[in-house]
Amino acid sequence: MLRVVDLVTAYGKIEALKGVSLEVREGSITCVLGPNGAGKTTLMLTIAGVLRPRQGAIEFRGEPIAALSPHAIVARGVALVPENRLVFAHMTVLENLHAGAYQRKGPYENDLEKIFARFPRLKERASQDAGTLSGGEQQMLAVARALMSRPKLLLMDEPSLGLAPLVVEEIFRIIAELHRDGTSILLVEQNAHMALRVAQHFYLIEQGRVTFSGDPGSLAEDELIRRAYLGSARA
Amino acid sequence: MDEYAIGVLTNIGLFSFVALSAWLLLVAGELSFGQQAFFGVGAYAAGICTAMLGWPLPLAALAAMALGAAAAALVGLPTLRLRGLYFAMATLAAAEMLRILFELFHWQIALGDERIGPDGTQGFRGIRWMFERGVEPLDFLAIVWILLIGVMVIFLRIENSRLGATLRALGHDPELARSAGIDVDRLKLGVVAAGGALAALGGALFAHHNTYIEPRNFDIMLGVHSLAYGLIGGLGTVFGPLLGVVLDIGVLEATRSLHGYRMIVFGGLVALLLVFRPRGLLDERAVHWIKSRL
Amino acid sequence: MIDFLQNTLDGLALGSSYALLALGFTLIFGVLRRANLAYGPAILFGCYCATWAYLETGIGLLFLALIAVAGSALAGIYVERLCFAPHRKGAAAAAMVASFALWMQFEELATLALPRHLYAFPALYEGGPLSLGRLTLRVESLVMLVAAILVCAALWGVLYRSRFGTAVRAVIDSPAAAELSGISVSAVSLRVFALASAIGGLTGFLIVSGDQQLTPMLGMWSTLKGMLAMMLGGLGSLPGAIAGGVALGLLEAHSQWYLGPQLRDFIAYLLLFILLAVRPPWMNTRSAY
Repeated sequence: MLRVVDLVTAYGKIEALKGVSLEVREGSITCVLGPNGAGKTTLMLTIAGVLRPRQGAIEFRGEPIAALSPHAIVARGVALVPENRLVFAHMTVLENLHAGAYQRKGPYENDLEKIFARFPRLKERASQDAGTLSGGEQQMLAVARALMSRPKLLLMDEPSLGLAPLVVEEIFRIIAELHRDGTSILLVEQNAHMALRVAQHFYLIEQGRVTFSGDPGSLAEDELIRRAYLGSARA
Repeated sequence: MDEYAIGVLTNIGLFSFVALSAWLLLVAGELSFGQQAFFGVGAYAAGICTAMLGWPLPLAALAAMALGAAAAALVGLPTLRLRGLYFAMATLAAAEMLRILFELFHWQIALGDERIGPDGTQGFRGIRWMFERGVEPLDFLAIVWILLIGVMVIFLRIENSRLGATLRALGHDPELARSAGIDVDRLKLGVVAAGGALAALGGALFAHHNTYIEPRNFDIMLGVHSLAYGLIGGLGTVFGPLLGVVLDIGVLEATRSLHGYRMIVFGGLVALLLVFRPRGLLDERAVHWIKSRL
Repeated sequence: MIDFLQNTLDGLALGSSYALLALGFTLIFGVLRRANLAYGPAILFGCYCATWAYLETGIGLLFLALIAVAGSALAGIYVERLCFAPHRKGAAAAAMVASFALWMQFEELATLALPRHLYAFPALYEGGPLSLGRLTLRVESLVMLVAAILVCAALWGVLYRSRFGTAVRAVIDSPAAAELSGISVSAVSLRVFALASAIGGLTGFLIVSGDQQLTPMLGMWSTLKGMLAMMLGGLGSLPGAIAGGVALGLLEAHSQWYLGPQLRDFIAYLLLFILLAVRPPWMNTRSAY
C-alpha cells in the first residue's frame, strides 16, 4: 500500500534520513521503532508531505506522493496523527472534527456518530475548547480528527507519548479496533512492548537508516534489540 | 564630472547611510520602519549646531551621531523584548512621534538680520555652513563618500570578526543565541543605537547638502524605502544596502524615458526579485559564491 | 458636556471605519501572520477604478460600490499571489518589502490613470446631517456605523457557520494542523485575502463617498489606520480589531478637540508605543513571525 524507497530528508546540511526504505502492506499494522533523534518523526512528516525529501520516492497505492502538499496527501487517503497532537486549541472538539472532515464531499453525520461512539469521552466534551482537554483526551481527539477524513492509511507518531498507562491501553485498543475495521496503520512508537501486541511488521530506524525489518517474533529474538528496547528499564 | 552627476552620486551616498542603518538591524534580525527618524534627528541636531551655535561641521556631526544614538536607545530600551511586527510597529510609532515633534519644534534665534532655526512645519532653513566656507559640490561628494567608505570598512572588519558572527547568529535565531550565552538584550540595544548613530550621520550631511530641511523629509516613505534598500541589495554583505540605493536612485535617473511608469516597472521587478531571492541580490549564498571565485 | 457627547458620537463613526479597516488587516494577519503594506493601496486601486468608471460613464452609486469592492479584491489577489504566496515559510521581511513595492505600483498606477490630486466623488447622501437633540450625526457616519455592524455580523456568520469559516479559523489556530486535516492553507490564504480586500474596498467606498472626494493619500492612510487599530486592539484577534478601531476613533475625536490635529496623531502613536512596551495580557502575544 505504501512504499518508501531510499528516502533522504535533510534539515539544511544535516541528513535526518539517510536512505530509508520500507513498506506498509494493505490491512496491516506496521511499527517503526527507534531511539530519540533516529529520524522517525522526520520519516512521518516526509510521508505526510510536511517535509520534502531531498532524494527517494514515496508511493501510495502506486501513485507517487513525495512532491504533494499535505492536504493533497490527505485527499489521497493518508492521514497523520502528529507527535505533538496539534489539535486546534481555540476550537471546540466538534469543530476540530469538522475541520478533519473538510475534504469530505457528502454529509458525514453517520461518521460523527460513529466517532463519538468510539470515543465517548470526546462526546462528553464536544462543545469544549480542545485546548482545555487533558493530554489523553487530546490524543483521542487527534486520532478522531484524522479518522474523519476516512483515511485508508493512518500514520501515528508516538501516540502513547506522555500518557498514563490506562490511557495508553485505551489507545492501543483503538488501534487494534481500527485494524480490525480495515484501516492500515503505520505506527511510530518508543513503547515497544505495547507495539509488539498489535503490529505485524517492525522496522528499526537508527541514525537515519533502517537497521532491522521483520515480524514480532524475529524482533523479540534479536539479542541486541531485546536489550536495547525490550529489556529491563534502560538508563 | 558635471553637476548633475555629482548631485546623483551625493544623493546615493547620503541615502546609503540610512539604508545601512536599516540593513544593520535586518542582519541582527529586526525590521525597523523608523530609521528615518534618526536621520531627522541628525539633520536637525547638526543644523542647529552649525547654523545656530556656530560649531564646525565635524563637531556638529559627532554631536548628531551622539544624539541619534541616544534617541535610538530611548526607543530601543522599552522595546527590547519585542520581535517581528511588534517591534516594527513600535519603531513606526516612535518615528512618527519624532516627526510630529519636529513639526511642533520652534526655536529661532536672530542672526544678523534674519531669524534662523527650526520653525515647525515651515522647516529649518539657512544651514549654510558648506556655502560659507566655499565647499564645492565635488568636495562635499568626496566628504560624503569618504565617510561612507570609512563606515563600510569598519563594518567589513566587524563582519569578519566574532562580533559579526554573533550578530548574524542573533539575526538567525535569538533564542539559540541566548542559550549560547550571548547577552541578547545588550547586543540588540547596541545595534539599535549604532543604527541610530549611523542614520544621524547621514542626516547631518543631508542637512548641510540641502541647506533646508523640513519634517516631511523624514516621513514613513523614507523609512520603508530604507528598509527596502537594505533588503533588496542583499543581506549577505555591507555592499547590499549600497546596491539597493544605487538600483533605485540609479534606475530613477537612468529611466527618464520611463518617467511615470518607473515605479510600476521597478515595483514589479522588486517583488519578482524577492520571490527568487528573499534575502536580496547579494544574499549570503551569492556572497559565498563570489568569495569562492575570488 | 454636549461637546463630549458630540465628540464621542463622531469618534464612534470614525471608529467604525477604523474597525472595518482593522478587520481586513487582522484577517490577513491572522491567517498569514504577516502585515500587508499594500492593503490600503489595494483599496485605493478599487476606489480609483470606481472614480474612473464614474468619470467615464456616470453610473450610479451602487455600481460604483461594487466596482470598488471588486477592484480592491482583485488587487488583493494580485498582492497575495506575488508577495505572500511565494514566502510562506519564513522570509517575512521579503513578503513585507514586496508588498511595499506593490504599494508603489498601485500609487503610481492611480496617479497615471487619474493625475489630479483631488477628485470629486458622488455623495453618499445629498441631504444635511441628522439632529439628535442637540447632537448632530451625519448620515454618512450612520451608514458607516451600520455597515460596520453588518459586516461584523456577516463575518461572524461566515467564520462560525460555514465550512469555509471553519477552515479559516483552523488555519488561524494552526496552519500545520490545518494542512494535516486536509485544508489547503494556500487556498484559504488566497480567499481570505480577497475577502479582506473586498471589505477594505467597501470601507474605502464609504469613506470616499462620505467625504465626496478621493485623494491618493487614501492608500497610505488606510494602511496606517488599519495597522494602528489592529495593534491597539491586540494583534490577530477579530474582536480586538473592532475594539481597537472604535478606541482609536474615540481617542482621535477627543484628542483632536482638546489638543488639535498634530497632538491627536501623537497621542495615538504614543498609546501604541506604550502598549507595545508594556504588553498588557489582552494584547495578543501570538508570535508575529
